[in-house]
Amino acid sequence: MLLSVDWMREFVPYDGTVEALADRLTMIGNEVEEIIDPFAQLTDVVIGRVVSCGKHPEADKLSVCTVDVGDETLNIVCGAPNVAAGQTVPVAKIGARLPGGVTLKPAKLRGVRSEGMILSEREMELTDDHAGIMVLDGALTPGERFVDALKLERCVLDVGVTPNRADCLSTLGLARDAAVAFGLPLTSPTACVQESGPDCRDMVRIEIPEPEYCPLYMLRVLQNVSIAKSPEWMRMRLLAVGVRPINNIVDVTNYILMEMGQPLHSFDKNLLEGGVIRVQRAQDGQEFTTLDGQRRKLVDSDLLIWDGAKAVALAGVMGGENTEINADSTDVLLECAVFRPASIRKTARRLALPSEASYRYERGVDQVGSRVALDRAVQLMAELSGGLVCKGVAENEPRPWAQPVIPFRRARCNDLLGLDLDADFCKKTFTLMGCEVDDADADRWSVRAPSHRLDLEREVDLIEEAGRVYGLDRIPADLPSISKSLEAVHHKGEFFFANKLKDWARGVGLNEAVNYSFVAPADLDRLGLPQEERIAIANPLSEDQAVLRTNVLAGLLGSLRRNRAQGAVRLGLFETAHAYFSDPDSETKAREALRLGLLLHGPRHARGWPWPTEDADYLDIKGLVEHLLDYLKLDVAEFRLLEAHSFMSPAVSVVLGDDAIGCIGRIKPDIADFFLAQREVWAADLDGEALRRMFSASAITFEPLPTLPPVRRDVTLGCPSGVLSFEVAAALEKFGPAILESVDLVDVYAPQGESGERNLTFRLTYRHQTKTLKDKEVDKEQGKLLDTLTKALPVRFFPPES
Amino acid sequence: MADLATLLGELERLVQECATQLGQASSSEELEAVRVEHLGRKGRMAGAMSALPSLGPEDKPVAGRKANEVKARLTAMLEARQTELDRAAEAEKLASFDPTLPGRTPPVGSLHPVTLVTREICDVFAGLGFDVVDGPEVENDWYNFEALNMPPDHPARDMQDTLYVTDSIVLRTHTSPLQVRSMLAQKPPVAVVAPGKVYRRDSDLTHTPMFHQIEGLLVDRKVSMADLRGTLTAFVRRIFGPETNVRFRPSFFPFTEPSAEVDISCVMCGGTGHIHGETCRVCKQTGWVEILGCGMVDPNVYGFVDYDPELYTGFAFGLGVERVAMLKYGIGDLRMFFENDVRFLSQFS
Repeated sequence: MLLSVDWMREFVPYDGTVEALADRLTMIGNEVEEIIDPFAQLTDVVIGRVVSCGKHPEADKLSVCTVDVGDETLNIVCGAPNVAAGQTVPVAKIGARLPGGVTLKPAKLRGVRSEGMILSEREMELTDDHAGIMVLDGALTPGERFVDALKLERCVLDVGVTPNRADCLSTLGLARDAAVAFGLPLTSPTACVQESGPDCRDMVRIEIPEPEYCPLYMLRVLQNVSIAKSPEWMRMRLLAVGVRPINNIVDVTNYILMEMGQPLHSFDKNLLEGGVIRVQRAQDGQEFTTLDGQRRKLVDSDLLIWDGAKAVALAGVMGGENTEINADSTDVLLECAVFRPASIRKTARRLALPSEASYRYERGVDQVGSRVALDRAVQLMAELSGGLVCKGVAENEPRPWAQPVIPFRRARCNDLLGLDLDADFCKKTFTLMGCEVDDADADRWSVRAPSHRLDLEREVDLIEEAGRVYGLDRIPADLPSISKSLEAVHHKGEFFFANKLKDWARGVGLNEAVNYSFVAPADLDRLGLPQEERIAIANPLSEDQAVLRTNVLAGLLGSLRRNRAQGAVRLGLFETAHAYFSDPDSETKAREALRLGLLLHGPRHARGWPWPTEDADYLDIKGLVEHLLDYLKLDVAEFRLLEAHSFMSPAVSVVLGDDAIGCIGRIKPDIADFFLAQREVWAADLDGEALRRMFSASAITFEPLPTLPPVRRDVTLGCPSGVLSFEVAAALEKFGPAILESVDLVDVYAPQGESGERNLTFRLTYRHQTKTLKDKEVDKEQGKLLDTLTKALPVRFFPPES
Repeated sequence: MADLATLLGELERLVQECATQLGQASSSEELEAVRVEHLGRKGRMAGAMSALPSLGPEDKPVAGRKANEVKARLTAMLEARQTELDRAAEAEKLASFDPTLPGRTPPVGSLHPVTLVTREICDVFAGLGFDVVDGPEVENDWYNFEALNMPPDHPARDMQDTLYVTDSIVLRTHTSPLQVRSMLAQKPPVAVVAPGKVYRRDSDLTHTPMFHQIEGLLVDRKVSMADLRGTLTAFVRRIFGPETNVRFRPSFFPFTEPSAEVDISCVMCGGTGHIHGETCRVCKQTGWVEILGCGMVDPNVYGFVDYDPELYTGFAFGLGVERVAMLKYGIGDLRMFFENDVRFLSQFS
């Protein structure tokens, strides 16, 4: 809402600075977002008088003028058809900054020097009018600055009005708040209508078949108007608050809208038929052309204004093209009504047709004040257009406004605000804002709110008012003592476990990424992820954000691409986030699963020498996962090569007990290419929920340290291709005697060019709990173990060299 | 018969010659050669002593004593020389030691600024007695709007451009549904903070379609706006320092009343509105930056969770994590948070 301070001063005698006003308005809840100079682009424009105007010797359409600009007379070549000697006009001199930011330079037009420019309204960025130059009131003094000569407003406040304060969507409304804030008297606008001629009530009848859609509908009639431009003061005032002037009838409706917050609509009365106005819903599928020329398809919840034969306006949103005021209009039917907010809002949103009128209607207008608005409007129209106001007001008010009576307990107010406001302050505040206070019962007042404050309905609304006017910034600061019941002691949620994962990942040197939860469907398709489970956004901002990701790696790979585009050669990224799947059984029709994604690309080590320079490989990503499981005190996982995976090859399933807790592997090269990888990309996608579940089930149990010495034996086993190291180790553990404490792989030797057989060297650690083991005992047990092993698996045992 | 004097002289000469050789020996290997030459089984000492059996019985003890003495002296000389050589070798090693070579540094990981700030904020509130809770990001309209006093077709819904999944399911536009979920899950007193991702249909220089919020809620008997102010003042000072000025400004949220916005003195320009004569972009010259919204829980909300509004009062607040992080770390561009440029990420270790 743009607030003209000059305009506001017509209602409240504020004589402080604009800055102080802005500050105070902000501190009572009407945040001033900016102080604007609405005519900043015209700072350099001056008043000029055309002394002479003759034809250009070389060009038919150009005139050569001499223009008096006060201290000098300029030679100006002008192309406007309406330029004439004696006119008073806006002039930009050489060196003036023109609207749009260009600086005017001397020019020669067809051989004639031009030392300035006479401006049209469009060139001044006032209106779209470029039919000719702007011609001003002849009484203005040449040389004066345009903004000073026309007494233009230089400070307009851009006020962010909150949705509850419909009353502040007008100059008067903000003036009321300023009056309360500064303790100044308020002069409400009044009207003095000179009526003549026939009675309006005899001309038109108002029908409202569904009163809940329209509590009040009023009409007045003006006859014999002359449609013309509004006077300069009206045009400039409207321009200052961001409204484009049109003509002396429409401008008045806009003027009253900005002044009092009451939307009005003027019909060309001679285009209406049947002597009746009906407020009635549209038929489903009905089409209607609004005055912007758009043909709109309506539904049966849209409210229309009808005459005896046709729809003539989309109620509260926009008038119809068929009855619009035009240059030939002579009689005006002026509508002033109140519509049901939700209905107007629905229509305006569905048609994406927000207007100043609908914006106010959907927040609620002052049903009582609307009468004054209507009278002020006809009065102004009559003044500006020379029309005559017919007698009376045609009206239908099926639902008169009912004044709410609100209880107010000062004790409750002070308890809630943490203040000690006295009765005088509260009463004065409420009275100043237009309430009637009955304080017969000192503990429980009855407060009647004014018709413009539709937001005052409950006691808490009054408490807010008291706090707001007193100043929320004056409320003291206390720390609450928080008492809790035992039942309220929470189990630790996802936040804590996610943080544990993050701490681990940071500790192993990875960088945390945070990607958008949504991606393009193509991003998931590229990874071959199923389409069925996806959750699509119904109204995405772009195709790139149209579907929620079902795999956290979809985002991390995007991070890879962006980093590669920036020239990054090494990445170690992680992200903990939700993956989203549709789930008809869920309350939100969605299943959100915590995932941990890891991504390695490029060199294994972040730094160069003395680290070796190899790229990260499978053992790096696997090592990270093993490290994580170890950190979480979980069991050793099994890594099973998957036969097929949509975007990884090799792809390896990580299995803990009966649960697959994720998948690790290399992004398939053709997919990695899309992400500009050029090198191998290794990734892990782990199930955070499963990890969390297992982690909460695991506990640290202390084991006493062994007191007796171990015996260690290294055995080398020749394993043919296809025998996995994990299998061998598991078999060793399975078949091993009770004294076998641990099995560790210590070396892998794969001879070149042979049958693919590998030699795996395991270190077997034996320990007895109660006695020191002798070599002979260990030899015997190990012999039996290797015997069993070589029978169970196709492996060969190499006796140690001696 | 061998001559004692010759033997003694020979032993003495051995010492002399060994000393000379030791002086020339410059490595452990050469030293060992000297030792073997003199003290080895077939060395010169042994050679000289081979004459011992042929000495007269009265000369034998003399020669024996002398031999032991010479052996001890030779051993001591060898050891001394060894020590000398060791020292020299150590000194030489040190002379070529380069202490400035790069170390074998383990990689340094980093946490996203959103994580750092979220934790820091949640820690402050946990210290004040709030529990940290979480909830779904795909949310029912009822939790996101209706139960927060925003019925369908209410203008307050315009305050947040919503991303819809269906007519009744949205991506939560704020963490406020956690107010409702927390109150439904337990009876007062309720003291929770809820961090998480939120979504709006909005994208420009200062808005991203996804960002992070932290919601706070305290409901108990006799909670007042002074408690709210105290809690938030404590929080702001912990995060931005005790010098930070705080301003409470009336505002509107459908689910709180009275509602307020909390501004802090701009940390970019120190509240002056200008940096080096240029208008401060962060506070747009006002010297204040909006940091969070808050208020007393609206009685209508209690209606949805079946709390008695006469018995219980409470406050709620919600703040934007990125905004706090931008102010705290001096990050000028919101979009950097989600570009995940590793040069950005690695600054937050």
